[in-house]
Amino acid sequence: MARSLMAEVDIQSTDRRVKWWLLIVSLATLALSVAAALQENVFPKWRSTRATYAEILQRKATDSPGRAIADQFEIGPDQHVLPELERVDRCVTCHTGIDDARMADQQQPFRTHPGDFLAVHPPTDFGCTICHRGQGLATALPDAHGNVPFWPKPMIPSRYAYAGCGVCHTHLNVPNLVTLEEGRNVLERYDCLACHRIDGRGGTLRPGEAGGMEGPDLSHVGTSGFDATWYEAHFERFQQAGHRPEVGPGPWKTSFGPIAEEDRRMIESFLATRVGAAEFVEAKSLFHTLGCLGCHKIRGTGGEDGPDLTHLGEKNPRHMDFAHVAGEHTLANWLGQHLRWPGKVVPGSQMPVLGLSDEQIDKLTLYVLSLRVVDLPDRFRPKDHILVERFGQREFAADGATLYTTFCAACHGPEGEGRRYPDSTPFPSVANPDFLAAADDAFIAETIRSGRPGRRMPAWNENEGGLREQEIARIVGHLRDLGGVGEPEVETAEHRWVQADAKAGQRLFLAHCAGCHGAQGEGVDAPQLNNKALLAAAGDTYLVETISRGRRGTAMPGFGRPSPAYPVLPDSDIKSIVAFIRTWKEPSK
Amino acid sequence: MASHSSPTFLDNLKALPGNLWNAIFRHGRPTSDRARSQAVFSNVFLHIHSARVHPHSLRLATTWGLGVGLVAQFIILTVTGILLMVYYMPAIGMAYDSMKDIHYVVPTGRVIRNVHRWASHMMVVFVILHMMRVFYTASYKKPREFNWMVGMILFVLTLALAFTGYILPWDQLAYWALTIAANIAGSPNELTASLGFAEGFKPGDVLKELLLGSSEAGQHSLIRFYTLHCVFLPVLTTIAVAVHFWRIRKDGGLARPQGTPTPAGGHPPKVGPAPSMAAPAVQVEEAPRKTYGLMCVVRDRSPHTGKDPDETVPSWPYLLRAELLVFMVVMLMCVALGYFFDAPLRELANPALPENPAKAPWYFLGLQEIVSYSAFVGGIVIPTLTIIGLGLIPFLDREEEAPGIWFSGPRGRRAAAQAAVFAMIAAVLTVAIPVNFGWLRNWFPGIHQLVIIFVNPGTLLTAAYIVWSLVVIRRTRSTRLGGIALFTCFVVGFVILTYVGTYLRGPNWDFYWSTSQWPGH
Repeated sequence: MARSLMAEVDIQSTDRRVKWWLLIVSLATLALSVAAALQENVFPKWRSTRATYAEILQRKATDSPGRAIADQFEIGPDQHVLPELERVDRCVTCHTGIDDARMADQQQPFRTHPGDFLAVHPPTDFGCTICHRGQGLATALPDAHGNVPFWPKPMIPSRYAYAGCGVCHTHLNVPNLVTLEEGRNVLERYDCLACHRIDGRGGTLRPGEAGGMEGPDLSHVGTSGFDATWYEAHFERFQQAGHRPEVGPGPWKTSFGPIAEEDRRMIESFLATRVGAAEFVEAKSLFHTLGCLGCHKIRGTGGEDGPDLTHLGEKNPRHMDFAHVAGEHTLANWLGQHLRWPGKVVPGSQMPVLGLSDEQIDKLTLYVLSLRVVDLPDRFRPKDHILVERFGQREFAADGATLYTTFCAACHGPEGEGRRYPDSTPFPSVANPDFLAAADDAFIAETIRSGRPGRRMPAWNENEGGLREQEIARIVGHLRDLGGVGEPEVETAEHRWVQADAKAGQRLFLAHCAGCHGAQGEGVDAPQLNNKALLAAAGDTYLVETISRGRRGTAMPGFGRPSPAYPVLPDSDIKSIVAFIRTWKEPSK
Repeated sequence: MASHSSPTFLDNLKALPGNLWNAIFRHGRPTSDRARSQAVFSNVFLHIHSARVHPHSLRLATTWGLGVGLVAQFIILTVTGILLMVYYMPAIGMAYDSMKDIHYVVPTGRVIRNVHRWASHMMVVFVILHMMRVFYTASYKKPREFNWMVGMILFVLTLALAFTGYILPWDQLAYWALTIAANIAGSPNELTASLGFAEGFKPGDVLKELLLGSSEAGQHSLIRFYTLHCVFLPVLTTIAVAVHFWRIRKDGGLARPQGTPTPAGGHPPKVGPAPSMAAPAVQVEEAPRKTYGLMCVVRDRSPHTGKDPDETVPSWPYLLRAELLVFMVVMLMCVALGYFFDAPLRELANPALPENPAKAPWYFLGLQEIVSYSAFVGGIVIPTLTIIGLGLIPFLDREEEAPGIWFSGPRGRRAAAQAAVFAMIAAVLTVAIPVNFGWLRNWFPGIHQLVIIFVNPGTLLTAAYIVWSLVVIRRTRSTRLGGIALFTCFVVGFVILTYVGTYLRGPNWDFYWSTSQWPGH
């Protein structure tokens, strides 16, 4: 009896404890559940954002359509469902004013989308993330902007927003910066901006002014196209300007004038680059001026010393090494710092310090951020993309100058003057007049085609570097333009005509040549002479002429010319040297 | 008028609420012991419980509420799981996006998904702790051997449920965990190849395809795992849980002091020396084979006339309230974790970009560590042996003792402590020697693959543990102490290997002291 009483007392105190704890724990659970329900359904940030926008709409409602919009605005999530693009973009949950022109004065996220991009790329068709990247599925910051761990496609920073164009507009026929600037200068010189606006500048004369007349905005003529007979039409107006008082003299007399044919071509090729994305065009143009594709490939064309850049804009920052990168762990930051000092960011990198200005680094960062490949249905592709993909047109202007600056300039210099980087053998001067006078087009083309195996010059033929025959020919032509020297007249058709004493040649070689070219011609500071491709491509005439003329401006003396530093070698000696050179069928090193 | 005419329609209507109530709650308010007993006994949901329970069973330190906690977690997982099923799409093009939708758009989806994930991790922890509690209190002894095996089945089902669920988000974690599992399933090929079997005989391929539904991890794997996770495994688990509860009741009920009667009225089996000639032989009663429902207790002389005084208390409300408390504590932990911590979700599964290192969920990392030595032995042989070995413990240790004493006393505590130290040293050596000195292929490059498969650090560690426990059995002449030693080795080894797999293994499964040393790029 006593035991059961004790048990009863025990159980009562236990039960009391249980009841108290049950109350506390249940209240805590209830509180947390209510907090969770409120946090997710009543207090998510996007609700208050939309509520704020609803107020803005009410304030701006001055006419009945405005009032209708304000009344119908819902406080709920909003999205674009894009099954063809396999995505759902919820950016418009917060970015409510992108297509309302009245919102241009608002703070983000309500501001109108700048430019007229939405007219050509309606969000109902394209969404937002195809250009801007980010996490379209999210409805909260910072997740939506994608700068969160494990989202591999963070939003492109707004200062590089034009990089978004690169996912579709890979085809822009952009020349190198020199050509681009020339075209721009010609256009300005001929005072076209008196009547026309381009990229927000120009159209200085207004209608209603004394005889003033504004021509169309030319910012998009690269895509919309222009009348091929524009000059003839302009010229006719110019001629009639004095004769028809109702038209009045105006700018047709003060601004327009006859334009030389070559200048006309430059104006037209400049206008072909006007697509409403001037920043992007400039960035791409700079990339094709610095010769980056000499070491890197994009879409199969380029050098192999460095990594392939085709997907560079898609790299997941989580898989990148930020050990030597200061600042935030974003792709843009990594790229910018890498361009500034490659060897610091990637220890052991072969990429030299390029000495770029901040502005150039920014532009290049923009361009490489644009390098993305996304599988899209054809109807989203601009029509010129088809020209590239199906008809094999180049994604940049494939004239000789642009080809040269795209692929060759990083090593051989922007003017073909040659270049030397620290810790590297010098790259030859390819626009050197003496070189061009000794080498015929076939030799230069073959050198470009086959490269120098074992040395830094890659093979650029279509299977390796990716250059086509006509393009190689255009590069050769450009070199001749740079050097100002035409093709030499070939005296003898024979490729190998030298017959001389190779042994004597060896003695002479060791005495005069081995210091720079190495005892076996393996190349120390100077080009490798026992290179298979060189010996196959070069004719004896080239070798003789080179030894004889030298290359002014480089370390190669002309042994056929009188000089205070080197003895003049008679013709026979030079031939002996060539005969010796010819004994290197297989390189010994 | 006092006439008793037949009840009119209006009378019936007026009496309706009361009659309705009484039809549902037919035994009245549980204010009397009789009503309390009836409330439990005649309710389909509550009659799992005995009508009366010993207060000892309600003490926290008896069982730490782990079993009830597991049931609570299972219920929480089922409810949150059904809610998630409303929005989740088991197609590889849509699974990941539906996870994002649940997180960002579905009202309270974030918290529900988080609760589901953390409850599943907690359930794995609890199932291990519960197994440890049952083992160390020797609650697997006769007549509870069968229930121990049902518990092992539940252990395997819990791990299977956790793993199948892990795959469903179809992110990088999920895809590569699946790939690892598939390759472990395919590892018998390693064995048959090194035995020189013909090319055609590839049991590993059969197993792998059984798991993946295809030769590659893809849509067929996902739908298979989805069906397993949402239908097949939960049904099996429910059945196993029902059997588990039934056996608890039939094998003697909840934990309580030795010598007290079962609430059903029988005696627990008596233990002790064989009866001497002096004392009259006492009939040793088996656990009751038939229980009779206790309908009522009166405060006067009890029906157990001549037996021990009854110390039991009614289940309603004491046991049920205690269970409810455990349930709410578990619920609070889940909701708190779910509110503050987001369940992980990595990038969309990318078959072209392996995670390096690709790690299984934490409860399999110990296994992954031994898999790194040999997929077949580490992934199939040792786990199977472990499960079978654990399952057979009640048959290997037939010493009779009263259940409920932790470590069976001071000798057991000592055995456990010694085994823990030994296990720790052995596990650390198992990892440290290959890391520092390499293994057989480094020393004998031409060695046969079979040797590599079977003589690996994992097997040696397992063998060391088995040998240690055999030594303990021999020295102490007690299978119980040997069992304690072996079980402790298993637990300590599991913990250490899981730690190594979690924190000390980096890309290519190389050894790193910390994540900051991992090579980038």
